[in-house]
Amino acid sequence: MQPETPAVRELISTEKNYQSAEVWTKVTGKAIYGIDLRLPGMLYGKILRSSHPHARIKKIKTSAALKMPGVRTVLTGSDLSCSPYGIVINDEMPLEPEHVRYVGDEVAAVAAVDDKKAEEALKLIHVEYETLPAVFDTGEAQLPEAPQLHENFPGNVAWRREVVRGDPESAFRNADLVVEGKFHIPQFHPAYLEPVACVAVSEPDGGITLHTAVQSPDIVRDLLAQVLKLPLSRVRIVGPVMGGGFGGKVYGNLNLYLISALLSMQTGLPVKMQLTREEEFTAGRPMVAAEIKMRMALGNDGTFLGREMDLITDNGAYSAQAPWVSNTLAERNDSVYRIPAIKTKARLVYTNKVPTGQYRAYGNQVANFACESLIDMAAKKLKIDPLEMRLRNCVRPGETTVHGLQIKSCGLAECLAAATEEIGWTKRKKGHGYGLSAAIHASGSVVFDPNLRGASARISLELDGNISLFTGEQDYGQGTHAAFSQIAAIALDLEPSRISVYSKDSLVTPYSMGALGMRQATIGGKAVQLAAEKLREKIIRTSSEMIGEPVIMENGRIRSASGRQVDFTEIAHYYHGQTSGLTLTGEGSYVPPESSYDDTKYGNIAVTYSFAAHAAEVEIDPETGALTVHRIVAAHDSGRIINHLSASGQIYGGVAQGFGMSCLEGYLFNEGRVANPTLADYKIPTALDVPDITPLFIETDDPEGPYGAKGLGEIVQVPVPGALANAVADAAGGWVTEMPITAEKIFRILSNRGAAK
Amino acid sequence: MDIGKITFLLNDEPVTIYADPAESLLHLLRDQLGCMSPKEGCGRGECGACTVILDGKAVNSCLVPAGKAAGKNIRTIEGISDGKSVHPLQRAFVEKGAVQCGFCTSGMIMSAYALLAENPAPRQEEVKRAISGNLCRCSGYKQIEEAIMTAAEEMNENRVRFVEKEQKE
Repeated sequence: MQPETPAVRELISTEKNYQSAEVWTKVTGKAIYGIDLRLPGMLYGKILRSSHPHARIKKIKTSAALKMPGVRTVLTGSDLSCSPYGIVINDEMPLEPEHVRYVGDEVAAVAAVDDKKAEEALKLIHVEYETLPAVFDTGEAQLPEAPQLHENFPGNVAWRREVVRGDPESAFRNADLVVEGKFHIPQFHPAYLEPVACVAVSEPDGGITLHTAVQSPDIVRDLLAQVLKLPLSRVRIVGPVMGGGFGGKVYGNLNLYLISALLSMQTGLPVKMQLTREEEFTAGRPMVAAEIKMRMALGNDGTFLGREMDLITDNGAYSAQAPWVSNTLAERNDSVYRIPAIKTKARLVYTNKVPTGQYRAYGNQVANFACESLIDMAAKKLKIDPLEMRLRNCVRPGETTVHGLQIKSCGLAECLAAATEEIGWTKRKKGHGYGLSAAIHASGSVVFDPNLRGASARISLELDGNISLFTGEQDYGQGTHAAFSQIAAIALDLEPSRISVYSKDSLVTPYSMGALGMRQATIGGKAVQLAAEKLREKIIRTSSEMIGEPVIMENGRIRSASGRQVDFTEIAHYYHGQTSGLTLTGEGSYVPPESSYDDTKYGNIAVTYSFAAHAAEVEIDPETGALTVHRIVAAHDSGRIINHLSASGQIYGGVAQGFGMSCLEGYLFNEGRVANPTLADYKIPTALDVPDITPLFIETDDPEGPYGAKGLGEIVQVPVPGALANAVADAAGGWVTEMPITAEKIFRILSNRGAAK
Repeated sequence: MDIGKITFLLNDEPVTIYADPAESLLHLLRDQLGCMSPKEGCGRGECGACTVILDGKAVNSCLVPAGKAAGKNIRTIEGISDGKSVHPLQRAFVEKGAVQCGFCTSGMIMSAYALLAENPAPRQEEVKRAISGNLCRCSGYKQIEEAIMTAAEEMNENRVRFVEKEQKE
């Protein structure tokens, strides 16, 4: 249990809606985003991309482009001295020197005095290709006669994983019921509203400053230094405001960053680059597509005995984070319930399509579509209420899951009860369909980088008595920085508005993993708490030295037993004078408890875990299959909620995204070419589409997170696909097993059942 | 391209620029006039981040040729408050948590501004329709709709107060 001090009580009451000052720059149009950046003398860069899904580059002629007035340089793959790089697998080059593997692959780049000239110059570059047979289907790609995309990956398998826990064979042998299904999930784009943009500035010392808004600036910095062969200290990332990320900007767009850096180093001038919306869709990094075959073994009473999954994920032409996403997709759902036996076979397969990466929740949300559908299929066969079946099997506090996750605080059962109660599970409207789904998501991964499991923060008392907080954790609207101000405010007993948060310059902010794995509130917030507590100690010590008596700090005031009072400004000036200019600074580092994590990836992967249950209410038109989603109730255990306004915003937004991917979105391809690369054809929800969403918070008190808080930003999306699939099945009498759930697919189910009018 | 002289009002102040009349109003505002609040999210009129008000109507400035702006009054978010106080929409967006990444916010507020000028007491359905051309990927729209309804109420109360004050005088 966390101490229930007056400050903590205040945190969860009066300051629950605190918003940081940055929000005012956004409502007045003054916030500067990546696309707004302009530096004196700046050039504009553009990329020539492959128009073939698979080809060899025989020759590139750049002389005409170079001669064009206004063009400053042209770069091709053969000009590069770097080696292939990657986040997990080194299979990618900023510009491909001889072999292109998808429509959109980077072939050449131009820097010119304005973007129109750069665009025109691209047309003057002549590329001679020798087209190669291409493969678009993951099944065909694994056949011996299939074209090989990369030399060292026979059968085009980029990554594979097989895992067995418990005794799945006997689980299935002894089962009273086995249900199975096959599920198809396309690529989804995070569709953040601001396309990735950057300005690279080559510095006189040979280094690079990259201005870009990215979720994990320090990891991008490491990669840039590695690929460009620069000393790490000569690479600096400075962040403008970010126009949305949702996991899609953990690494921003690495090729874009590298190309702009190379163009800047070549010309000695700043080079701005930004993707068009079409490039975002065709050459960004959407989330992996998946084919899931799954079987589940149950006892007659609805007890889960075992689960088998055969997963094939579509990597596209290069790997980005797809291996890690595939791993989460394959496993995370196994820990929602007590499932004693698991058998998983997963393969990630190269195809000549857009490379894939991640999107909010790392694939956990699309696996939810399959896992939760299967549970309801079993419930229907066993004639058990889907709520009862979930309550019977769901994970509880203190348990260790089948993959070794150690569950501390856990309000999953309460989430299930609250979501169903609120939606009217037992008071159903006639003709409406109801569906339920549950989720777990790791909050604060400790295995992402075994050498850096936690986070650190630095917090200083300024001469004016205000506080500056330096963190590497990124806020692009989730409310992280407001929450950090609140956390520090508790430790220092002052108003959050007196604490300014700085996070956007790698030169001065502490190294961090950044915004991924729901680690910021839990791990980053804990570091802030520890740093603020250190500063508090230092303030007390310095005050007592200053007035020569012991002091106490209470309600933002420092006083001695004899009644002498000092304020923060006086202490800051005193210390400043004593040290000739230093500021009182607290450094906090949170190193999570050691966890065992073996070669089979069994072990406790995160500081803690967040939980959620969503209930959906839908209606379908029996004549057309048209779907109306009336309502989604989203019950969440994210520990103590530090900021209710921001937390509710995460739920509204994340559920809306989950609804979008479940019902509207998804990539379409034509011979490997993205067929819907616009926001008109790749439909994301508008205000008219989003159903009524009700957030509910089950506030557990987590022993690890700051003041009991856990992460929320990713799990908000996870239960949506399963809840909607089950609600549709309740109304239609059968499951749509292919995302998105469209009227056409529902109509097919109605027709097959003979229920369509 | 033919460069022509284009004169219009930007937030009630006359501006004259020389530009290709076929160039988009969005690029003209951002690249020539340094008015950066309209954002480019797609360049095809599909996202609404570039929404400005042209003679009272909310438009996607990326689809408006600069020539069409001649003689018109263009209003952007820079021109909805006097710089000292904030507009009720701006305050409500902050207080209701309607802003996350903020990239859609300028355009969203301009669509709301145009709506409230025409329909001071909109129903929620009308609010939804008015902002249906403005995509927001962060918020799920709920807190945006609340903010617009709240601002409408505040503006109506102010109007009532103003009328009452005038009647007294």
